[in-house]
Amino acid sequence: MSLPQQQLPADFGDKSFLIIDDFHGMRSILRDILRSCGVNPRNIATAANGGEAIALLEKNRFDGVLCDFNLGAGKNGQQVLEEAKFRSLIGPGCAWIMITAEKTTDVVMGAAEYQPDAYLIKPITEATLRLRLDKIWSKKEAFADIDRAVVEQDFLRAVKLCDQRLATDRSNAGELLRLKCQLLLSAGEHEQARSLCSAILAERDVPWAKLGLARAQFAAGELAEARALLEALVAENRTFLEAYDWLVAVLKAQDDLTKAEEVLEQAARLSPNSVTRQKILGEVALQLGKLDNAEKAFRKSVALGEHSVLKTADAYLGLAKTCSAKDNPNEALQVLGTLTKQFNDDEVKVKALATEGMVHHKAGDPIAARKVAQQLGEALNQSGVRTDSATTLEMAELMLVTGEKSQAVALLQDEVRNNPEDKTLLGRVQQVFDTASMGAEGSALVEASRKEALELMNQGVLLVRDGKFDEALAALRTACERLPSNVRVLLNFAHLALGIMQKTAVDPALVDEIRERLLTVRRLAPGEKRCAQLMSQLDTLTR
Amino acid sequence: MTLPEPTPDISAFLASSVHDMKNSISILIGGMEKILAAADRESPEYQDMSHMMYETKRINGNLIQLLTLYKLGNHLYPFSPEDWLLDDFIHETLSQQQPLLESRGIAFEVDCEPDLIWPFDADLVGGVVGHALNNAIHYTQNRIRLVVRRAAEGLELRVEDDGRGYPQKMLDDGVAAMQGVDFQGGSTGLGLYFSAMVARLHRNKGKTGSIRLENGGAWGGGCFVLCLP
Repeated sequence: MSLPQQQLPADFGDKSFLIIDDFHGMRSILRDILRSCGVNPRNIATAANGGEAIALLEKNRFDGVLCDFNLGAGKNGQQVLEEAKFRSLIGPGCAWIMITAEKTTDVVMGAAEYQPDAYLIKPITEATLRLRLDKIWSKKEAFADIDRAVVEQDFLRAVKLCDQRLATDRSNAGELLRLKCQLLLSAGEHEQARSLCSAILAERDVPWAKLGLARAQFAAGELAEARALLEALVAENRTFLEAYDWLVAVLKAQDDLTKAEEVLEQAARLSPNSVTRQKILGEVALQLGKLDNAEKAFRKSVALGEHSVLKTADAYLGLAKTCSAKDNPNEALQVLGTLTKQFNDDEVKVKALATEGMVHHKAGDPIAARKVAQQLGEALNQSGVRTDSATTLEMAELMLVTGEKSQAVALLQDEVRNNPEDKTLLGRVQQVFDTASMGAEGSALVEASRKEALELMNQGVLLVRDGKFDEALAALRTACERLPSNVRVLLNFAHLALGIMQKTAVDPALVDEIRERLLTVRRLAPGEKRCAQLMSQLDTLTR
Repeated sequence: MTLPEPTPDISAFLASSVHDMKNSISILIGGMEKILAAADRESPEYQDMSHMMYETKRINGNLIQLLTLYKLGNHLYPFSPEDWLLDDFIHETLSQQQPLLESRGIAFEVDCEPDLIWPFDADLVGGVVGHALNNAIHYTQNRIRLVVRRAAEGLELRVEDDGRGYPQKMLDDGVAAMQGVDFQGGSTGLGLYFSAMVARLHRNKGKTGSIRLENGGAWGGGCFVLCLP
């Protein structure tokens, strides 16, 4: 091989950079290094803290960012990166290098989608930086078409592109296989992911392949196998946080919340700065009735979220519920007040009202509870916002305890119509009726809504069978409007509309409609196989 | 009555101070690189400066090893094996040592199987190879060689020099016996302890990595060998 001095140094003359470091000394050292790499000093911007960095990122597109993890008070480097990615302030070609004094779990372990392109440990030398940047940029170029397919949400096309590249690119093989495995899992092709991982594991113990295998098992409902594999995986790889997160998901599916809390505590010790993980920990502890643990975790999540774009309303809601459970309604209401000031968003407003009503109810103030329930009813009607099942059930409970029976019934019927085949959910809806001593009436209502939905769903299918495609499409469109969160209806609509367009012509308005419905499915049911297939067909049709 | 002094958690203090010292050293090294790059290579100052750089990098290397051992002991080190093209990895590791090798006029050879790819934690293995190179720079006459090849136990990285080699007693005692502190001899045992730990962390299919010391190689001097499964 050639020695370093014989290698032609890469020239970064046309590149622009941002340096983020709170120490003036480090900023000038990094600036000097970039200058020796051939970067024009006019194309180097510097920021001393997260706020300055974000302001510069908003105004400019940089080819590279050198960011110190530790930025003193305010945002840290990881939070700056998260915000930059979340708000698309950096393009896919931007190389983000995180500079740290040492390698440690609380620095390295962010969510997978918010990882920098490289971590470099101080001191940074010119040669190391040059080599790393070169490597990152050439890899980004090699992965550009795959990245584009992912951005366009066509996971199956991305898988094909991985395969094409794997045939020739040996140096990126490991990374391509890892990416392919993730894509297969996102596309719901769990069996393909399983065989890919098994083949890799036959050759070598590769932690990500073990995780992939466990995820495939989880998706196939093999909970015990997935659990055993993940437990072994975290025992062998004590700092593999993604494996902890999947283990928690499996344990929750097994209803073993005690163990889930234990695993979350371990993960939180390794990486104490994750807004999301602290929130999940709080939720599990609250469900277990461990109010002190819940309070601690929710408070931590709220505090960490202060400088983070990943801050979540759920942490505030959880904290309010915990305070309420601890007979501290005043603080609960105060937390909800802060929440609505922090998030200007209809869904959050509705969720906050649902929680607020229950706080009053629990504090023995039925008049206040009823007033909030009525406000909630108005807010729902005005905004037309759709909430997740858990929130909908909470809202219905509030309506029932405050005597707003017709609102409650409407909410629950709507929930059944959107999920007529989800037995667990139907059971929960029935439970809500039972608690309100409306058992018999409730089961009649559930059954009626279920039937209504199934009929709506079948209408389109029958028309298709009779060859009346346009009428079928109109019927399915009506069904989509009536059952906006019904995954099967949305998929059937997309399937039929695509079939019609394949036979006739591409209609841009219909393409947009299909895409929107498929994106709804992806949000409601991530990893739905049919959705990925239809997305890919849509993509092929319009490319 | 006097209350007993509370016992401080020395290891946590050590870790946080080491972290702090590392920041200072980064600034030092950055400044020295700048001066060295501008200095006249023939001047006596250049020689002094390059020696200072050698010592500073040694301190930095030791601090990294101490911190890493502390993190590993507390399960806070994010061990992250990744596929590396060995050409790239060696290029990067050598780039750290290049100025020193040049300033001391040491001839350097690399013998690496082309297109070889292996999974390992590059920060840890880079630390081990860097330490071995530093040692070799200290003991060599004027030549150092880095060999990277596929062997029966896995990937083999060898750092060979043309010095007098290791004393027979050291070779006889084996790596396990070399982890004591020897203040007289200037060896703290830290480097070897760290290297052995890094090797052991790398596992595959029931096999673990290892290190060993030999005399021989291309010129009969000392050889440091790291094997990764």
